[in-house]
Amino acid sequence: MELVKKHTSTQSQKLMVFVLTMALYGLATLFTELIPKFQVGVVEFSVEFFLFIPLTLAMLFDPLSAALGAATGELVFSEIMLGQFGGLGELEKFLTVTIGVYIAGRMVRNPKNRKMVGIAAITGTALQLLMGTIVDILKVQFAVEDFEAVAGLPESVFATEGFAFLNDLLFSGILFCLLPTLFLVPKLYGKIEPLLGMRPRDEKTWLGGINIKVIMGAIIAFAVAAGAELLASSGTSLIEWEAEWAESGTALVVGMVVAAVIAVITLVVLKCKAGKEKAQ
Amino acid sequence: MREMKIKKKLSENILDKFSIDFLRNQVLKNAYGNDDTVIARLDPRILLVWYLFIGLVPWFVNNLWFLIACFLLVLVTTKLARVAGLVLLLFAIGVFTQTGYLLIVSFFFGGNTSTIIPLLILTLKVATCSLASITVFSGLDPDRLSNGLMWYGCPERLSFSISYAYRVLPMLMEEFQNILLSFRMRGNPPAHETFWGKVKYLFYQTKIVMHAFYPLMLNTAKRSRTTVEALEIKGYRYAAVNKNVKKIKLSSMKITYNDLLFLAVSFLWISLSILASKIF
Amino acid sequence: MNIIEIENLTYSYPAAKSPILKNISLQIEKGDFLAVVGNNGCGKSTFCKALNGLIPHFITGDFEGKVTVGGLDTLKSDVGTLACKVGYVYQDFENQIVRPTVLDDASYACLNYAMPDYMERGKEALSLCGLEGREDDYIWQLSGGQTHLLALAGAVSLRPDILILDEPIAQLDPGHADKIYGVLRELNEKQGKTIIVIEHHTEYIADYCKHVMLMKDGKIAWKLPTNEALCRVEELQSCNIFPPQITTAAYRMKQNGCLKDQPLPTTIEEGSTAFQALRYSGFKPLKNISKSCAESAVQFRDVSLSYRSVKGDNRIVFDHLDLEIRKGEKIALIGSNGAGKSTLMKLMVGLLKPETGDIFLEGENIRNKKTENLSRKISLVYQNPEEMFIKDSIKADISYAMQVRRMENFQERTDRLLDRFHLTELKDRDGRLLSGGQMRRASLAIGIALNPGILLLDEPTANLDIATRKEIMRTLTDIKDITETVMIATHDMQLVCEWAERILVLYQGKVVADGTRDDIFGNSSIVETVGIRPPEIFSMGQVLDKKAFCYTVDEFLQSFEEA
Repeated sequence: MELVKKHTSTQSQKLMVFVLTMALYGLATLFTELIPKFQVGVVEFSVEFFLFIPLTLAMLFDPLSAALGAATGELVFSEIMLGQFGGLGELEKFLTVTIGVYIAGRMVRNPKNRKMVGIAAITGTALQLLMGTIVDILKVQFAVEDFEAVAGLPESVFATEGFAFLNDLLFSGILFCLLPTLFLVPKLYGKIEPLLGMRPRDEKTWLGGINIKVIMGAIIAFAVAAGAELLASSGTSLIEWEAEWAESGTALVVGMVVAAVIAVITLVVLKCKAGKEKAQ
Repeated sequence: MREMKIKKKLSENILDKFSIDFLRNQVLKNAYGNDDTVIARLDPRILLVWYLFIGLVPWFVNNLWFLIACFLLVLVTTKLARVAGLVLLLFAIGVFTQTGYLLIVSFFFGGNTSTIIPLLILTLKVATCSLASITVFSGLDPDRLSNGLMWYGCPERLSFSISYAYRVLPMLMEEFQNILLSFRMRGNPPAHETFWGKVKYLFYQTKIVMHAFYPLMLNTAKRSRTTVEALEIKGYRYAAVNKNVKKIKLSSMKITYNDLLFLAVSFLWISLSILASKIF
Repeated sequence: MNIIEIENLTYSYPAAKSPILKNISLQIEKGDFLAVVGNNGCGKSTFCKALNGLIPHFITGDFEGKVTVGGLDTLKSDVGTLACKVGYVYQDFENQIVRPTVLDDASYACLNYAMPDYMERGKEALSLCGLEGREDDYIWQLSGGQTHLLALAGAVSLRPDILILDEPIAQLDPGHADKIYGVLRELNEKQGKTIIVIEHHTEYIADYCKHVMLMKDGKIAWKLPTNEALCRVEELQSCNIFPPQITTAAYRMKQNGCLKDQPLPTTIEEGSTAFQALRYSGFKPLKNISKSCAESAVQFRDVSLSYRSVKGDNRIVFDHLDLEIRKGEKIALIGSNGAGKSTLMKLMVGLLKPETGDIFLEGENIRNKKTENLSRKISLVYQNPEEMFIKDSIKADISYAMQVRRMENFQERTDRLLDRFHLTELKDRDGRLLSGGQMRRASLAIGIALNPGILLLDEPTANLDIATRKEIMRTLTDIKDITETVMIATHDMQLVCEWAERILVLYQGKVVADGTRDDIFGNSSIVETVGIRPPEIFSMGQVLDKKAFCYTVDEFLQSFEEA
């Protein structure tokens, strides 16, 4: 007699959660991408209207798969599919969403406990928003030399960014993240798991609370995210390209043009030849 | 409050005039409707290199000639890629809200060259990079794109996600649309002739979209189970660890004269612009 | 030679109390074409998943016994090795297609198993499945039947010895269903593949399969040659499986003392010998169809509609369509997949607006009406009931429309509806977690919650076994007092013949035929152009005597007697 029994989620179950979250959150962000971003002065309202989807799934299933699925879904559906890919800066979004959702998912031991679900949902959202805010502030700090020296600048940046953060958290965070998660988690608990052939989360299948490892991982990921975003936005001041090429002579540029013309002609000739050979 | 007003206006437009059917059509058009264009037939690796240049370099350069040339180049490639109207609209709104509005305002309210030129330069940079990403990500076939990314060492999971996303999107949208139609048939939205009614209607619509995700999550869960089982049978996990598979997959890509010609023409164009900036 | 050998297989799902497969032992010969039949929930699908190793490698649970497939012990081999031996096509086949284009999906498995000739294998599989020339198409450009063939091609590409298909024709029109079985027969006869289908359309079993296996409560009752199996009429009926109409008719004649020395026929050919002694009695089944002069319920005036297509010109669905539906009519809407049946219904409830022309609902133009205001008059029940469950319990779903309209005593009405549809005990369950028949009943209850005068049903019997189908048909007669006018879009010709008073045939955006069942099925040119397949008993009657128009077994028995 052979017995096959497993308690924690298997590789395939993780893939299922990944696919599910990716499809759902991807679809949702596709819609939000169609609603233009709002920017009033320097304050950007960066609401993740549908963050409740990965938050809910991360609380019910394997948090890491759900978090990665959500971030991938957003990247694929709304950035790549609609051609809105913004380069290296997208890494920041990817990582902050992953961290926020993952931490929220790890916090919930019993999805039936509404209080815990609520706290986790708002913590996850706040984390995600906070990381975005910190990166924004750092961006200004890097971009403006002598950030401290400009009178009133630090205060005004902190004030506007802080206002945007609070506005996002209190208005959109509660309306779009906290309430829907509170509504969905208890309703889905025990119903959605059998559809995927899994056991509902309980003491046995829970991964355990937040520990040092999780926090360290999150901090490292955040550092990468911030680094990527800063690199993406403040590159201008890092590399002085213009100066370099302004000094190079006109002769060099003429050379470039001639080389390009020769390349184009050669390629056209080669292509015509190849086409004829094929036709024969 | 300004944010609320814009949001209200836009979401009304999106929910009433932009039917989901229209969105679905536009997204599909963007994803599949242009697979026979010049751009779509180019080698993804070449196109990605090209994107890296056109998407990155303008950020480091403040020469007007150069920027205009880059902008014209991506304008042509975008035209060649036959991008869907909706994506272009999104692009236009994106550029406008970032810097475009400032440019127009200063143009009409007696701005002089010293204020207009820097704004123009900034707008050109933003527009060029967006259009470059639209050309590459909307113009390329999803599969070729994911193969290209894989060649550059992107994780296999990402390239799978891209192909899979294009596969499920039509199904997901149809399902979502049907669920929303269920709400429409059986629901009883508030009358929205008056202003107050419109506000209430907006809240109602938002609530419905949120609620629609409950059935959507469960239905998608049912689907993803079959999908992941099928992936298992089709050897997805086996392929993920087998280097041979990657090699076979990537061997289907070939660089043709067209690819080189595309690079050479772009290069010629850019060097001509540099030459122009030297002479004038 | 046995390709599949099972010894004492017992299996239970994780967290299930009792095993779903109980001590199964079985041998299946190489080259067999086996139909697996049985009640809903008797373990047919579970059994098949045990053959390709998904159980126990992918779906965990308690597994006992030994399964050997093509010489491999499933416990000792991994899913990948087994996949090259056993191909599997799911009932919800569209979810097993994971790539955007046709050839890509057909060769995907071969690529993943690092076969260098993966393209050739994919192409070969496509041509075996009749999908040549569609290699570069996108999945969403395929019809339902073609999508199924693609799912099959994906499985065939690995050149497995065994193919398993779970309810291959449940959602297809007869033309596509014939196509699928034709392909399967070829694979079976020319390629020597062993084929196992889970099927409850016994007409197809009779035409195509070599053996039938009956499962009961997780056990195998028997495995017999098809003829012998289908003649066990009583036993099959007790398991809610309905033998072919011809077999049932012959069986009942025997009970009445006729056809003494004949074996029971299962196909039309066999029937024509078995019934050759019969003579047509001249009986004309009467269906009291009075040309209705009642007021108009729905009227289409010069309606045109086309869909935006992704590439090229828009696809025209309706071209200047005129149609009138009168109060009190029982209408069946037939036509192949994609003929526009669902679109017609969506137009009627206002979910789609016509490009030109007008639609009148009880005399009122609905162009400027809002959908939510029409729903008291007309209601649509989707083909896929899962899309109608928008709340977390069927009770909440049924009461939703009444509640948001602040109807008085909606609680009582909900309770009455639950009672009427025998759903009271299930009222707190989520609709999606119910069985197929329960889901349908619940969706009907949701559809008539607002007492609409007109009820539209899109494929109400698709995916149902025959017993559940009968139950739905009973329910339809049952709700006559609530809804006056009912329209059903369906491929199910038995339903059409037994229930409908007027039949509309849609073909290429036009109503090409409109009349009683005699008008439609008696018109051979319509039947051929549109590809309608009359119930088998009707064709049997026609073979015996061109004058006979009998649509049910009862009518057949009255029409023919021993000379």
